[in-house]
Formats: sequence, C-alpha cells, structure tokens
Amino acid sequence: MNRNLFLKEIRRNAVSLMIWMIVITILIVLTMSIYRTFMENQSKIVGMLSIIPKGALQFKGISNFNDLLSVLGFYAANNVIYMMVLGSIFSIVLSSNILLKEEYDKTAEYLLTRPLTRSDIFLSKLAVLYLNVFILNLVTSVAGFICMELVKKGPFSIRAFLILTLYTLLLNLLFGAIGLFLSTLVKRAKPITTFSIGLVLIFYFIFTLSKITEGAAKIGYLSPFRFANVDAINPAYTIDLWHLAYFIGISLLLTGLSYRFYKRKDIYT
Amino acid sequence: MSTPIIDITDLSKFYGKARGIEHINLEIGEGEIFGFIGPNGAGKSTTIRILMNMIFPTGGSARIMGMDVIRDTKKIKMQVGYIPSDANAYSSMGVHEFMNYCIHFYQVRNGEQRISELSELFELDLNRQIADLSLGNRKKVSIVQSLLHNPKLLIMDEPTTGLDPLMQSVFFELLRSENRKGMTIFFSSHILAEVQMLCKRVAIIKGGKIIQLENIDNLRKKQLKKVYIEFGDKVNKENFSISGIESVITGPGNTLSFMYSGNISDLVSYLSGKMIINLMIEEPSLDEIFLHYYKN
Repeated sequence: MNRNLFLKEIRRNAVSLMIWMIVITILIVLTMSIYRTFMENQSKIVGMLSIIPKGALQFKGISNFNDLLSVLGFYAANNVIYMMVLGSIFSIVLSSNILLKEEYDKTAEYLLTRPLTRSDIFLSKLAVLYLNVFILNLVTSVAGFICMELVKKGPFSIRAFLILTLYTLLLNLLFGAIGLFLSTLVKRAKPITTFSIGLVLIFYFIFTLSKITEGAAKIGYLSPFRFANVDAINPAYTIDLWHLAYFIGISLLLTGLSYRFYKRKDIYT
Repeated sequence: MSTPIIDITDLSKFYGKARGIEHINLEIGEGEIFGFIGPNGAGKSTTIRILMNMIFPTGGSARIMGMDVIRDTKKIKMQVGYIPSDANAYSSMGVHEFMNYCIHFYQVRNGEQRISELSELFELDLNRQIADLSLGNRKKVSIVQSLLHNPKLLIMDEPTTGLDPLMQSVFFELLRSENRKGMTIFFSSHILAEVQMLCKRVAIIKGGKIIQLENIDNLRKKQLKKVYIEFGDKVNKENFSISGIESVITGPGNTLSFMYSGNISDLVSYLSGKMIINLMIEEPSLDEIFLHYYKN
C-alpha cells in the first residue's frame, strides 16, 4: 500500500462521502422523528398496516405489526432501505470507479508511471474503499443509535442493533467487492456507474419480489439482500454463520479475482 | 555503446489478432538522446506503454537499467520520468497540489525548490486549478512533473503537443542541459523536425516493426539526395529512368524532381547527353527521408 496515494484518494472522495453521510443521516433522523407520533397513534396505524399484504411487510423485516412498536423494530423496518440500499449504492459506485476512473479520466498514465506496483495501487484503493464504507456505516449507525436513544419508550437490545449494523456493513462491503470486480473486467475505459446502481436495485427488486410472492421465494437467494437478516426484533435474532460465511466468502473471492485481474490488466488511456 | 539503459528484445504486442508491435529489438545507451519516430498507429505508444508497465507484452522482453520492466517496475520508475502524449492531469487538483502529490512518491531533497525552479522556467502558475489550464499549460504541468525527481531516464511520448515555439525552445534547451548532466532521453514523436533538432540516433517504426535504426547524421548522409532538374526541352518522366531514382515528380515547365539513392557520378553521366538548364542536388529533409523509408 502507498500512503501518498491512499491520502490523495481519501481527499478525492471526501466530499462524496460527506454528502452520502449527510443524506442518509438526515433520512434516518427524519424517519426516527416520527416514531413518537407513530406510538401515539399506534392503534390507527396498525389498523392501516393490517390491510397491507403480509409479504410486503416481511421484506422489511416486519414479521408482526407489533414489531413496529419497538424502537429497534421501527428502526430496522424503516431504515433498512437507507442504510442497506443507499449504503450499497454508495459502496458500488465508489468501488466501480476507484480504479476505472483513472482510465477514463486519462490519469492512469500519471499513476502507473509512479514508483508503484499494481499491488500498491490496488491495495491503496481497496483500503480507501473499506475506510469510506466503514466511516459511512459508523456515522449512520451512530446517528441511528442516538435517534433510538432519544425517541425510545423502553429499552432495546444493543446486541441486536450491533448485529443489524454488522449485516449492513457486510452487505455494503459485498457490493463494494462486486463493483471492484466489475471494473477490472471492463476493457475499454468508460464509467459503469449506471450499471452498478442498476445492479443494486435489481438485487433489491429480486429480494422484494421473493418476499412478497410465495412462488418466487427461492429466487431471493440470488440476491445478497436475502442474506442480510433485518428481523432484529425476533428474540432468536443472531448472526447466521452461513450468512456470515456467504458475505465474507463472496467478498474475498471477488476481491481476490479483482486483484488478480488488475495485476495483469492492460491499461489504456 | 555502454551498457544499454533500455534493452528491448524481440518485443511483440498483439491486441487479439490486431498487431501492436512485432519483434522489436532496440538498445539505447546511457546518456543518449534517442528519437523514436513513426506516424500514428505505428506502435510508438505501444512500445512506451510496455516500457512503463501499463500494458503487457505478448512476446519478448524489455529491460531498463538492467531490470525487467514487469518484475522490477517499482525500482525502475524511481529513476524514470515520463511525459504522456495526453496532458490529462487530475482536474480536481491545483497545480501545486499535483506537484506535491507527484514529488511525494520519490525521495527528493529540496522538492519545493525543484517545483519552483521548473515552474518558473516554464512560466507555470502554481496557484491555478488544473481544470482551468489551457492545453499548453497542461503540457507544461506534464513536463514539470516528469522532471521533479531528477530522473536518470526520461521517456517522452509526443511531448511538445500544445507547446508554443518559445516554450518548445525552453524545453529543448532544458533537455540538452539535463542530457549533459547525464540524463538519457527517449523521445517519441511523429514531428521529425524536432527529433532532428534534439536526437543523435533514431529508430523509424512502421507497421509495428523498426525499419531503420540509424544515427541522425548518417541518415542524412546516406546517399539519398533530392534532385531538381530543369531541361531545355520537353521531358517525359516515363523515359527518364536510371537505377536509384524514386518519387519522380514532373514540375512546371520542363522540370523534374526526384529522390536519388545511387552514385552521383552515374547520375551526372546519365544526364550528360541531355539539354540541362539547371541542376540542383541537395540534402533531403528528415521528413523526406522518412517518407522514403515509408514508401519502401
């Protein structure tokens, strides 16, 4: 890893990270700010929710309406889209551009002619990706935690909150690995941002479809979202080791392949 | 020649079935200013990209300072400066920020002083954003960054594009000065006049192959001459045939011009029976020599 390159990349992505952190944090704060109103009108809202198909609630991790009455259940159900989907979009956009941008911006000729190996470049950029995803998750999770502390009516399981946070981080990192992998496959340099965002949304759509359509339950396994359990209010909520192995295994595999491809990639500008 | 600073052996690069370069062999000695000329698509940039480890060869090998360009790329690049053909630096950076970023990859003493010296020489404003610079100024950024760490070898790919004549002259003077201090220069260009001004030896590349490797002076001295003849009566170029003439052009009046690579006394003997008003034999320009090799 090269410190100079690492610091430059951190600076280069700082504004983008800041914007994403602010947007997701605002969404979390706004969502959690309605929790008290929700509690005050719970009978009416639960009545309204009862007309929504059960599957439609399930995909948000709500197995029971009463889940929403718990602050953690409310947080898990309402913020999953921000932290998991938006976090994954941030992660894949960053990862799919972090190497490729040097090619389509035609700056690769400056980067590759420095005293750096391909490994130095790859590892420096990977570290930037991990650090960015980690900071985004840390800040938004802390914001979520503070919001829950401020609006809670009773205690909630910090352990369950941490597991939920871990799943979000692992999902974001997996999409980071997918973006990195895709970028190393691109032969002629051009941005793949739209494709990457589309991929996250397609996976989320597949996951949603599998939750609301009984006949499509199995296709849910095609989507990484299926392996991030958000049913935090379930008393048996814990880390599924198979799911953990899935996230870590696929992430490592894709990152390893990306490293291998990048080391031998012909880079044109 | 001393130990080659660049040693290319049987180097090839194919893009699928398309040819990039084919079986290139080249040795460049320490302290040389070497010209690498050929038109667009001839394989100049492909060769340079392999030397700089941006792309990988499909055959052969290349060594810089005795080190393999793939395995030892990091060590090599500590001592190599590179000026790319496209002057696209990081547009989000300021000029000074970019220079600082570049210099931090090397162990350079008095880095700030070096940045100031070179920037002043090229009248480069360090306080501007790269995105706001003209092509010429971006090229200056590109030149300055390549020299910050006092490289032992400077590789340049079309380095003068966008530079005004005054800056070209400053740049060439600097190159001569750095060369006198020991810097080897590999100068790739399709502008023959500038190669002629600077280089001592030159390789001409055509269709991915080196077709001529020669001292600039020898290249000019090689019996190739440019001949103009004005005849006293009408002349038909089809009837004008002698071994060694090429590119015969009929000019206004009764004039002919052609390139001649044979013995001058043979030409004079051949012309002796003809009515000649004017005869000029001169050194061809490098462009004309280049075109001659290309046609052949």
